[in-house]
Amino acid sequence: MAAEAAQKVEALAAQAQRLMAAFMRAGYEQIAPAIIQPAGLFLDVVGEALRARTYVFTDPDGEELCLRPDLTVPTCRLHLARHPAGNVRARYCYSGPAFRYQPGGATSAHPSEFRQAGIESFASVDREQDDAAVLTLIVEALRDAGMREFQLRLGDLGLFTALLDAVSMPQRWRRRLRHHFWRPEAFRAELARLTSREALRVHGLPRQLLDALDPAQPQEAQRLVEAYLEEAGLELVGTRTLPEITDRLLADAADARETPLTPATAALIERYTGLKAPAREAAGQIEALIRPHKLDLGAALAAFRRRLDVLAEAGVDWQGATFAAEFGRSLEYYTGFVFEIVAPELGPNSPVAGGGRYDSLLADVGAPAPVPAVGSCIHTERLLTVLFGEAP
Amino acid sequence: MSDRLVLALPSKGRLREQCANLLARAGLVVSKSGSGRGYQGDIAQLPGVEVNFVSSAEIAQLLKSGKAHLGITGEDLLRETIADCDERITFLRPCGFGQADVVVAVPAVWIDVRRMCDLEEMATSFRRVHARRMRVATKYMNLARRFFAQNGVTGYRIVESLGATEGAPAALLAELIVDITTTGATLRANGLKVLEDGVILKSQANLVSSNAAPWSPELRGLAREVAERLTA
Repeated sequence: MAAEAAQKVEALAAQAQRLMAAFMRAGYEQIAPAIIQPAGLFLDVVGEALRARTYVFTDPDGEELCLRPDLTVPTCRLHLARHPAGNVRARYCYSGPAFRYQPGGATSAHPSEFRQAGIESFASVDREQDDAAVLTLIVEALRDAGMREFQLRLGDLGLFTALLDAVSMPQRWRRRLRHHFWRPEAFRAELARLTSREALRVHGLPRQLLDALDPAQPQEAQRLVEAYLEEAGLELVGTRTLPEITDRLLADAADARETPLTPATAALIERYTGLKAPAREAAGQIEALIRPHKLDLGAALAAFRRRLDVLAEAGVDWQGATFAAEFGRSLEYYTGFVFEIVAPELGPNSPVAGGGRYDSLLADVGAPAPVPAVGSCIHTERLLTVLFGEAP
Repeated sequence: MSDRLVLALPSKGRLREQCANLLARAGLVVSKSGSGRGYQGDIAQLPGVEVNFVSSAEIAQLLKSGKAHLGITGEDLLRETIADCDERITFLRPCGFGQADVVVAVPAVWIDVRRMCDLEEMATSFRRVHARRMRVATKYMNLARRFFAQNGVTGYRIVESLGATEGAPAALLAELIVDITTTGATLRANGLKVLEDGVILKSQANLVSSNAAPWSPELRGLAREVAERLTA
C-alpha cells in the first residue's frame, strides 16, 4: 500500500473522531474488537466468497488466523464473550481498519486496507424502531461530518420471506429459494425447476428405489437405502451418515411426487424479485402485485410501512429513496431491512455506508438462540473523498 | 537482465523428463551451464535461449511476473496461480503430456449427490446437521472457488491440502475434494466418484509465453522459432 500523505492521515483521524462522537452521543459504547481473528469460525460464518478476499495466515503454533475483513463479526464475538447467551441489550460503536484483498488490484475507492466506522445494536425488542434508529444515526453522523447530498437505497428481505410463506409450497422449497436469493441465476434456475414436473423427477438413480421411498416411513426408507448401497458395493466413507443420505433421497422422492408451482406463482415470485420502485410507492406496488393472487403478506408489509414512518418522524428524508426487492448486498448474513447510502460523486458501486438487519448471525457465531441485531458502517476513505475530493 | 530469451522448464519429476524428450525430438539439446548449480542451461542450436530449471509452481510465478519469456508447465498450475491467466499468459501449444483433469470428487456412497446443484442443496442440510460448513480439501483453492461460484455453490469451506488429498474424506479431514485425476483409479480406490458435471479443467502441459516479459522484436522471433521447432 502506498504511503499516505500526512494530511490525509490527519483528516481521516479527525473525521473518525467526529463520527465516533456522534455515535457516543447517541449512547453507543465504544469498543475496539481484535484485528486478528480466528480464521475458522470467522470464515464458517461469512462463507467462501468473502474468504477469497480475506487475508488468512498461519501463526508459528499452526493456528489459522485472519485479518478481519469487516468489524461486524468481531463485534458479535466481543458481545458473546461478555454475554454468552447474547440476549442482553447492547449498542456498540467502533472505528478501525479492515482488510480485503481486491482482485484485479486495489484502487482508492476499493482499497485493500480501509477504515470502517460503524455501529451495531443487539437484542432490541422492537425491530422496526431499531432498524430506523440505526439508519437515522448513520445519516446524522454523515451530516455531522459534512456530507450534504446522498441517495438512499432500501431493501427488505423480510418481505421476500413473507411472500414465500404466503405462497403454497413445501417448506424445503421455501428454504431453497431463500438460500438462492443472493444469486439471481441460481435463483431463476431453481424457480424454473420447481415449476416443471419433468425437472422435479430425479435422474441417475433407479426408479424402483425412489418409488419405494416413502417420506412417511423414514425407518423403512433407511433400510431400503442401506440394502441398495450394499447391493451396489458402496461403503460409507467420510462424515455423512446413512440417515443424512436417506433424508436427502426422501426429499428427492417427495419432490418427484409434489405438484409443481403454477406458472402464475413462478411469475409472481419472478416479478416480485424484479421490483424496483421509489420507496414511497413500494408498499402499494407490492400490494398491487399480490392482489390477484389473494395473498396476504400481513405483518411484513405493515412492518415495512411502520419503519418508514419511524424514519420520517426521526427526520430522515426518504422521499427520494429507492426500493429494490433484489437489493443486492454481497454479504449473505442479512435477514431483513437493508440499506445503502450512495454519494453522487462515487456512484452505486462504491456506497459510502451500508447496513442492515442480521438476526441469525449471533447464533452462527455461537449464541444458543437467534438474537435480533442490526448495524451499519461507514467507509471512511470514501467519505473523505466525497467531502474533500481525491487526496493529492 | 540478460537480453536472452528465458525459457522456464520443470526441474524435477516426470514433467522434466517429458520436456527433455520433447526438446530432443525437436533436435534441441540442453546442456548445463553457468555456475554449476545445475539450474541453468543452454541450447547449442539456439544460443539466444537461456534455460531456467525451476519447480512447476515457480514457473507460473516467473511467467506471471515476466521474469521468464517462455515456459512449459501444466495448465492447471497456471490457472490456479495466476488469477487473470488469459490476460497475462498466451498459450502457444499443448505438449501432449502431463494430462490430468481437475475434478470435484465426493464419496461414491453419496448417491443423493450427483451434480453440482445437488452439492449446494446437500451443503445446506449438512450445515443444519453438523453446525458447520462442509469442507473441501484441495491444493487448487482458486480453481475450486471460481468453479463453485460459477455453479452457485456457496455453503463450503476450503481446507488446504498439500498431499494425498484423495484420502481426506475417509480420514474425516474434509467431506469432499477438488484434485487432479488421470484414470480415476486413485479416486475409486479411495471410495470417491467424480460429479457428473464436476470436471473443472482438462489440463495438460503447455508451451506458453508471458505477456509481462520484456519483449524485443528479436526475442519475439526467437520465441516463434522455439514454438515452431517444438510443433514440428
